[in-house]
Amino acid sequence: MAEVKNFLKEIISLPGLSGYEAPVREAIARHWEPLVDELQVSRLGSLEALKRGRGTEPRHSILLAGHMDAVGLIVTQVKGRFLRITDLNGVDPRVLPGQPVVVHGRKELHGVVIQPPDNLVEDHKNRAPFGIEELYVDVGMEAEELEELVHSGSMVSFATTPIEMGEDILAGHTMDDRTAVAAITYCLEILRKRIHSWDVWAVATVQEETAYAGAYTSGFSLKPDLAIAIDVTHAKGPGTSEKSIPDLGKGVALGQGPNVNRGLYDRFKKLVEELEIPHQVDVMASHSGTDAFALQVIRGGRASMVLSIPLRYMHTPVEVVSMKDIRRVGRLLAEFITDLDDTILEELQKEVEA
Amino acid sequence: MKQLIKNLVETTGPSGFESEIRALVRAEVESYVDEIRVDALGNLITRKGKKSEGGKRIMVAAHIDEIGVMVTHIDENGFMRFTNIGGVNPFNLSGGRVRFVNGTAGVIGVESPRERGSVPGMEKFYIDVGARGKADCPVKVGDAAAFDRPFEDLGERLVSKAMDDRIGAAIMIQALKELKSSPNELYFVFTTQEEVGLRGATTSAYGIDPEIGIAVDITGVGDTPNSEKMDVGLGKGPALKVKDRSLVVDPRIVDWMVRTAERENLPYQYEILTYGGTDAGAMNLTRAGVPSTCISIPTRYAHSPSEMVDYQDVLNCVKLLLGAVSHPVTLD
Repeated sequence: MAEVKNFLKEIISLPGLSGYEAPVREAIARHWEPLVDELQVSRLGSLEALKRGRGTEPRHSILLAGHMDAVGLIVTQVKGRFLRITDLNGVDPRVLPGQPVVVHGRKELHGVVIQPPDNLVEDHKNRAPFGIEELYVDVGMEAEELEELVHSGSMVSFATTPIEMGEDILAGHTMDDRTAVAAITYCLEILRKRIHSWDVWAVATVQEETAYAGAYTSGFSLKPDLAIAIDVTHAKGPGTSEKSIPDLGKGVALGQGPNVNRGLYDRFKKLVEELEIPHQVDVMASHSGTDAFALQVIRGGRASMVLSIPLRYMHTPVEVVSMKDIRRVGRLLAEFITDLDDTILEELQKEVEA
Repeated sequence: MKQLIKNLVETTGPSGFESEIRALVRAEVESYVDEIRVDALGNLITRKGKKSEGGKRIMVAAHIDEIGVMVTHIDENGFMRFTNIGGVNPFNLSGGRVRFVNGTAGVIGVESPRERGSVPGMEKFYIDVGARGKADCPVKVGDAAAFDRPFEDLGERLVSKAMDDRIGAAIMIQALKELKSSPNELYFVFTTQEEVGLRGATTSAYGIDPEIGIAVDITGVGDTPNSEKMDVGLGKGPALKVKDRSLVVDPRIVDWMVRTAERENLPYQYEILTYGGTDAGAMNLTRAGVPSTCISIPTRYAHSPSEMVDYQDVLNCVKLLLGAVSHPVTLD
C-alpha cells in the first residue's frame, strides 16, 4: 500500500453492498496477495487471508475482522421512468436527495436520488424531510428501456466522489468499514518485516450490516484463539454528547464493554501507552454493533476486542475519517501481534476466573 | 392439495407446542422419505436420496409453529391475562377466538370496549373461556393457545389463521409426494419456534450442515388499499427473496432461482421485505455459512387471523421448489 489515502480512495470507490461484495473483494485480494501466505474465499464470500507465524505447531491464531460490505439502496419498484427505493441496512433518508448513485442493473446506470418538490406535494406541511418511500432514483431513461435493465431487487451504490479535506481528512461513502480493511492492510505491511509466532487470519467479512454473517461463519471455520473486530465509531460532531465520544483524528478508540475481554482491553491500553499511540475510549455499554458481537460467542467463544476508528456522519455518503487514526490502528495491531506469545491465553483465562 | 392445506392450518401449534402438528406432518410424509427423525428442539427432519455426482446437500425448511398467546395470570373470576408468542398485533385481538393446546376454546375481550381511539396495549385484553371462576378454569398459567378460525376456501384464494407457515409445510409435503428423482441429498425439515427467533432452523441446520438452504415461508404484499409500497402481489407467482431483515440473499442464489422459474415457465416476482425474517436467515449463518434463500408465498393480512394466499401461487411454489431441488445446482 503506497499510501493509506490512495488505497482507501480506490476501495471505497468499488461496489460491495451487503451480500454483493465480490467486486471489492477482488481488489482487496490483489492488495493482500503479496502480503500473506494463503488466500481463500468463504462459503458466504468473506476474504480470508492467512499469514503464518513462526511458532511451533500447532500454532495459535488471531483473527482480525474488518467488514467490506457497504450500506446503500435497493430498488423496490420500477415506476415508469423512475425507481422506487428502500435502504439497504440503515441509511438516513434525509441526506439522500441530490446524491449521485450507481444502479446495478443489467448494466451499470448512473443516476441521482430525487425528492418531489415541496411546493408540488399536497399535505406536505412544515417542509419536513420525505421518508425513503417518497424518494426515487432518476437515471434519465425512458420507461421501456428502464424496464429492460432494472428490476425490483437491483442494488444501488453511492457514487459520491471522495473529497480530500487537507492532508489528513477524507470524506466519502463506505468509510464504514473499508477504513478497517485499510488498517488491516497497513498492519499486514508492517508484519511483513516482523517475526511473529502466532498465525494471523486477516478477514474482510461480508454482511456485517445485515447479520454479522461473515464474522459468525469465518469465526466458526477458522477457529481463532483471539479475535479483534476493527470498525468505525461515531466521532464527536454536531448533536453528539460532549462526554465520552471519541474525537476524529485523536487516536485509536479502544472498545470497552461486554463484547470486549477485560484482560485484552488492559493489554491494549498498556501497549498504546508504551508506544505513545494517541488513544481514547469507545464505550460500548451493551451490543458493540460490530463483528466482535459474533466472534465472541461462535463455536464456544473466545476473548475478543474492538478497535474503533472515529468517524463523523455514519451511514451517510459523506463519512469523514482521519488517515492518522487508520495508521494508528494498523500499527497497534502489528505491535500487538508481534508481542503475542504462548502464555497470553492462559493468563487471560486466569483473569476471567479471578 | 386444498384438503391437505385445510388439515394443516386447522391444527393448533403455537411456538414450542408443535407436537400435534408434527404428528400430522409426519403421517403425511413418512412413506415418501428415506429417513425421518425428530431433534432435541422438536424439528421434524426428513431425508430423501443421497448425493450423487453434481449433487448437493440441500436443506428445505418450513416452520410448523404459529403465533399465539400464553396465559400469565388468572383472576378470581376466571379471566386470563396473556402475553404474545411471536408477533401478535393487539389490533387483531378484540372479538377473536383462541384454541388452547389442551383443546379449550376461549374468546378475547377488552377492557372498556366502548372507548374509541387508539388500539389499547396487550395488557388491556383478556381471554374468557366461560369459567365461573378461577377454581373451575380448565387452563392454567403458562398454557399456550393459538388463534382459532376455520379455513376458508374462496376458490382462487384461501384464508386461514395459520397460512404462516403451514402453507409452506403444505408446499413441501406436496413437493415430496411429487418428487421423482434428484441428484441432491434433500433434507426437508419442518421446523419449530420460527416465530420466536428462527430457533428450530438454527439447530436443525447445524445438525444437517447443508450446502444450500431454502426456506419456504410467507411474505407481505403491496396490493391492498393503502398498503406499503411493496412490489409483490397475490397471483403474480412465487416471490424470490432478495432481502429481508435477516439476510441479503447471495446474488448467485437469486440468479439460480430466476433461472429455475424461467426454465419451468413459472411467473415470479422479486421480494424485498423491509421487516421480518425467515428460517433462511438462520440457515445462512450456520457453521461456516450456508448460502440460503426463501421461496416466498405472497400473503395478505400476515399475522392476522385471516391470512390470505392465492392458490395458483401455492401450486407454482410447489413447481418452483421441485424444479430447484430435482436438478444439479450450478452457482456462478
